[in-house]
Amino acid sequence: MSRFAYLLGETLQGMRRNVLVVVGAVLAVFVSLSLAFGALAFNQVVRVNTLAWQDGVHIIAFLNDPGASGVAPDAHERLTNDVQGWGEVERVRYVDKAGAWAEFQELFQDRPDILELGNQAQLPASLRIELTDIDLHDSVELRLAQEQQTVSRVSVASNAIQQISQITRVLNVVGIGLSLILGIAAVVLIANTIRLAIYARRDEISIMKLVGASNWFIRVPFILEGMIEGLFGAALAVFAVWVAARPLMGSVSQVEWFRITLSSGFFLRWGVLFVLFGAVAGILGSFLGLSRYLKETEGTTTGRETVPELV
Amino acid sequence: MIRLQDVTKVYDGGTVAVRDLSLDIQKGEFVFLVGPSGSGKSTVIRLLLREEPVTRGHIWVAGKDTTTLPSHKVPFLRRSVGTVFQDFKLLPNKTVAENVAFALEVLGRPKSAIGQQVTQVLQLVGLENKGDRYPRQLSGGEQQRVSIARAFVNRPPIMLADEPSGNLDPGTSVGIMRLLDRINRTGTTIVMATHDHAIVNAMRRRVVQLDEGLMLRDEPVGRYETAEVEA
Repeated sequence: MSRFAYLLGETLQGMRRNVLVVVGAVLAVFVSLSLAFGALAFNQVVRVNTLAWQDGVHIIAFLNDPGASGVAPDAHERLTNDVQGWGEVERVRYVDKAGAWAEFQELFQDRPDILELGNQAQLPASLRIELTDIDLHDSVELRLAQEQQTVSRVSVASNAIQQISQITRVLNVVGIGLSLILGIAAVVLIANTIRLAIYARRDEISIMKLVGASNWFIRVPFILEGMIEGLFGAALAVFAVWVAARPLMGSVSQVEWFRITLSSGFFLRWGVLFVLFGAVAGILGSFLGLSRYLKETEGTTTGRETVPELV
Repeated sequence: MIRLQDVTKVYDGGTVAVRDLSLDIQKGEFVFLVGPSGSGKSTVIRLLLREEPVTRGHIWVAGKDTTTLPSHKVPFLRRSVGTVFQDFKLLPNKTVAENVAFALEVLGRPKSAIGQQVTQVLQLVGLENKGDRYPRQLSGGEQQRVSIARAFVNRPPIMLADEPSGNLDPGTSVGIMRLLDRINRTGTTIVMATHDHAIVNAMRRRVVQLDEGLMLRDEPVGRYETAEVEA
């Protein structure tokens, strides 16, 4: 334990002596991880907003419950079959009350106050209609309006939602790619910083090697340094995105098609992961930065060089 | 204690620093490696510490064949060898006592034992009152004493010194040599590379003369006799 305390002391002393380098490393991790975390948060917003609109759903027809006035018990089934037969319709999917409730629960999983207000009975079943061409929605709307006994309300995805839905898939790929690249950038930046820190302390390291310090003894302070820098940078990044998203969190806007909800659960889950990633990136970066400096030469180079003869 | 067998060292680029050198150094010996700059003295020291790989031949230090020693065991080799250099190699941000203690800390010695050993060795080198000074507050001779204290605090069986008096005036050099002589009398084997005539002639110890990597002579009680006179 005292050995660890000694190494931790050496780490902190080393960091104190190279404050600027340490700040540089923390900022590097902070910047790359806040971008990555920001991309992730944005993805989450888009995902939540387009949950109901995935698989290219263009129109949602909310249905009156069977048994209500004028609604036959098999009205839903009949309408589904009818709609499927329409020329403008590519595909139709029937979502019953249980399915609607499950969707509602997922949408508001972090808003118990809203969940309390709802229950399965209140939520209507619906038809999710995919059109062969989005421009045909007028005629489909018209046809649905004629089914007014069964259909209570018709919602059409606006162009904006259409576009968002389309770019969600792209954003997901881009977001993952971006997070990966920025994650690698964080590792490389930490490796670079550790290398700078080693360069600043190269005399000390050569003396440590001279008096017989093991590679692990030399390595541990730098690994701890990388880990601390990674942790701090990542924690700052998560905090910064949280602060930026705070005004948006939990507020349910009145715009029917757009809800900005970033739950605290999302922040907790991904925040912890990002901070852990920061620490791992720091450790990895330290290993990369150190590898060249701590390499011992092999004992002999026999066979690789020829010895010139004396003249 | 130290054995070199047909050791040849060729640096990248083809410079032959040491050629077919064979040497046996017994426990407790004091050996001067002499010769002009570029004769291969410092390379021998570096090879003994395994800072450089040999190109051919074998080296045994304290019973270990350093040429076949795996990399991860090199630190253990260095713990049995104290080293002193011309430029002292002290850490400027550590005090005298901390610099000496550093050599024990990297070995993981308990703090209580470190303090006692540091005090003892500082007494040996005559710096017991300067433990809390920083290297920059000391003279060159005092700094070299600190570096000797650090090399000896672990009581290694072997000490290597590469031009330890190279940066010191003749008077101060004598003091350093007396100190090394005292350490040698405790049974520590000392190999010292130097081109300081006065010291070698005054000490009357074993002299191994190198020139362009070749051993010219090996005398049990020698003088610094060479045609080339270094400045």
